[in-house]
Amino acid sequence: MMPIFDLPPDRLTEDLVERTMYARDLAPVPEIMTRSFFQTLPDAIVRPANATQVADVIRQAASLQLPVTPRAAGSTSYYNAVPVRGGLVLDVNSLRYDISLDTARQTVRVLPGTTWFELDDTLRRQGAAVRSYPSSAIAATVGGWVSTQGHGIGSLQYGAIADQLVSLQVVLPTGELRELTRNSDPPLSWFVAAEGTLGVITTVELGVRPRPAAESHHLFSFDDLDALGTGVQSLSHSQPRPYTVFFADAGYLALLERAGFHAPGARRQEAGGPPPASRLLSPASYPAGMLMVSFQGEPAAVNQGRDGLARLPGRELPSELALEEWSLRLYHLRNKRGGPSLLATDIWLPLRNLAAYLAGVRKLAVRSRQQIGSYGLAITPEWGQVMSIYPTDERRTAAYLAAIGFTKRLHDLGAHYGGRPYGVGLWNTPYLSRLFSRTDLRELRRRKALLDPHGIMNPGKLYAAPFPLWPVTFAPAATALSLAHTTFLRGERRSP
Amino acid sequence: MSDSTFFQGLDAETTICAHCGFCRAVCPTYAGVGWESCSPRGRVHLTQLMLSGTPVSSEQMTRLFQCTVCSACTQVCPTRIDLRQFWLAARAEATRRNLAPPGLGLAQANVANTGNVYGYPNDERAGWAEYMDDAPADLYQRETAEVLYFVGCSTAFSPRVQPIAESLVRLMSAAEVDFTILGGDEVCCGFPLQVAGMPDRFHDVVESNLAQVRAREASTIVFNCPACRLMWQEEYARHLPGVRMLHATELLAELSAAGRLPLNELNQTVTYHDPCDLARNGGVYEAPRQLLAAIPGLKLIEAHERRERGMCCGGGGDMEMVDPALSQRVATTTVDKLAATGAGTIITACPQCVRTLSRGAERSAPGVAVLDIVELLARALT
Ligand SMILES: Cc1cc2nc3c(=O)[nH]c(=O)nc-3n(C[C@H](O)[C@H](O)[C@H](O)COP(=O)(O)OP(=O)(O)OC[C@H]3O[C@@H](n4cnc5c(N)ncnc54)[C@H](O)[C@@H]3O)c2cc1C
Repeated sequence: MMPIFDLPPDRLTEDLVERTMYARDLAPVPEIMTRSFFQTLPDAIVRPANATQVADVIRQAASLQLPVTPRAAGSTSYYNAVPVRGGLVLDVNSLRYDISLDTARQTVRVLPGTTWFELDDTLRRQGAAVRSYPSSAIAATVGGWVSTQGHGIGSLQYGAIADQLVSLQVVLPTGELRELTRNSDPPLSWFVAAEGTLGVITTVELGVRPRPAAESHHLFSFDDLDALGTGVQSLSHSQPRPYTVFFADAGYLALLERAGFHAPGARRQEAGGPPPASRLLSPASYPAGMLMVSFQGEPAAVNQGRDGLARLPGRELPSELALEEWSLRLYHLRNKRGGPSLLATDIWLPLRNLAAYLAGVRKLAVRSRQQIGSYGLAITPEWGQVMSIYPTDERRTAAYLAAIGFTKRLHDLGAHYGGRPYGVGLWNTPYLSRLFSRTDLRELRRRKALLDPHGIMNPGKLYAAPFPLWPVTFAPAATALSLAHTTFLRGERRSP
Repeated sequence: MSDSTFFQGLDAETTICAHCGFCRAVCPTYAGVGWESCSPRGRVHLTQLMLSGTPVSSEQMTRLFQCTVCSACTQVCPTRIDLRQFWLAARAEATRRNLAPPGLGLAQANVANTGNVYGYPNDERAGWAEYMDDAPADLYQRETAEVLYFVGCSTAFSPRVQPIAESLVRLMSAAEVDFTILGGDEVCCGFPLQVAGMPDRFHDVVESNLAQVRAREASTIVFNCPACRLMWQEEYARHLPGVRMLHATELLAELSAAGRLPLNELNQTVTYHDPCDLARNGGVYEAPRQLLAAIPGLKLIEAHERRERGMCCGGGGDMEMVDPALSQRVATTTVDKLAATGAGTIITACPQCVRTLSRGAERSAPGVAVLDIVELLARALT
């Protein structure tokens, strides 16, 4: 039995079925990889109603040295919000709304469980808008994005979430409630991408932008990846800076049609019916890539951006398609329908190597006979975030387990082109040496030791790979699984 | 978002669900409960547990029924699952495994024993017509007619919404529509059984209603209840080729456009609530708005949460039977948003919405009236 927390009864549960829902995130992982090594099932879930209740819970957990894993929408996929040592999951979703806009300073204060969509929707009614948001904006919360990498749609024009923050109210691992700014001790920057390991964010204050007076969206298709890469790079350096630049390769378009949707720019299929299977497996039937660029802001700047597109390589597709693609910008997961499961690697990649990386993925797909699609966003003029996704079926456990191993091939390919995983959680801890320099990692560990000496906040994540994810055990295991996966795929394609 | 949605069976869809949580953010009952198990993705997880044979109690499975089937989740689902179909199939599976909340059995027993969900004597279905001063002697029950008005259980029996039936027959009479009602020959359409997960139990009611409709030789069936309309479109229409099934607002909008519905001025400010079964589930957004625009002097202030993003009243999916307190909480939240428009009257187009929103208004916005659009139109009748 959990110690009795000082909470109303409807704010704590030990119900087994309820707890299983907090023991997973987006990526289903076979039990053999979870239960064998980690205690992913929390002992209890608490759902505090306000910052004071959060502080009470943390204080009591600290006195019992009980692990606490903060969880918001749970829209991450590296077990960031899933406990690995049991304890409490602290569901922050009751800390929602209380949106207060300061028009003069162009800032807003908001509770962390508010979703980006809700925040933007409210701001737009008051003449403002969020500067950037993740492609998961309908689900993802403000506090969740601050606690992860914080790059997404709009980052190209407005920078990372870290640059937009004005102040944070947090509950430290001692239960102390603190207001942090850029210059406080500790500074708010420590909590950016801290993945709930340093405390719980209970209020966020961040900069906003005026609701854009004009918007213009454009869609281009490309016959070769080099042209796509050049297009993305030139747009991300261009002035006025586009609000966002989205790109995808032929594999992504093929996956869309496999899932039952029309791929923009793809040759129309003959009179109805699903596209032939041969086409689904052959990205050659699709343009090599596509790109969507969006300008937002004052009409003059938007017009200027649009005029500059004349120099872009590639074919511009009709404006209705561009508008449709813009309206689907949060719906890339529709690809999952062709799975029914989807595995992915999310890579932070230098844009100068985008074309080479995508070509590498294409070769890997052909060699391994694994259908792979890639898409992503230009985040800064130099860097982009690229997802490479591949369909699989989690219901066939052994094959699925092997398919998980294949992510390492993609990560290695990304690393070859100067990339690194985007986000850490549990499953990317084997790549810590790619993610951080030794100095950076030492600094992160110092902060953790300083603020959370008993290690109660989201233990087992971010700072060190737990067994069996030590690089020495992980690398051979993942390589063997990946090999099994490609051997299996070859066998499958050969059989009638 | 693309309109196409899919349902390839529970096993496939529980795997396709990405557990991304888009649905969680828009679910009215999740907002009212707060536990993951009461979010649509939690219910998918619960369904997966049930299918895999993991022991789940009927108390835990109640979460599947603490859902108004409003389809706000379908609207945002990035893997495009038709979650309405999913909930109906999952509930049927839970019922088959004896995991449904016990209260729902009563609805089924009532329909089986009396022909209506309340368990009242069914020949009192046209009781509302008897209270009318100007009803004809046949109480609108004719042997044959062009239009058949299917009144539905709640409008027929629930005093709060019986005026909708009175209003609709007045409007149709004024427009000289050749119509009839079925009176005691009408039985429950089966919708409460469908959403209770008892698809095999409404076969008899469908047969009985079909026989009555055929006998009346009607070419159009009109419903003031969006749930009845939906049920007829899904379960009856294939047996009645060529017969139009319209919501009252669709028929009245046609009459209004044809100049057959002369309306007086009403100097009033109203807001409009899109009922889930009429709008998101039924696809009717324009007809009610055309009718409101046709009333001279009427001012409509649209709520921010409207059309595809309309808020649920809390009364759908048998929620009142399963968890009346949660139904109330959802209603109150919706009334608060609608009242925030500043309009003194909330207009809707569904008897169930009228009932739940009225109770919500009593609690949170006592000065605000709730009316069905048919009642409002009847007030404007010349
Ligand atoms: C379709 C889709 C698109 C996506 N697109 C993007 C994208 O464009 N950019 C991007 O960066 N990510 C993206 N993601 C990943 C994910 O959605 C984001 O990281 C998101 O910000 C996570 O927010 P959440 O509310 O779901 O947080 P959760 O997943 O619940 O938590 C994430 C981490 O933050 C911690 N945390 C959450 N809330 C708090 C709090 N209040 N205080 C302290 N710690 C907290 C948790 O412990 C966990 O470690 C995408 C995911 C999906 C499914």
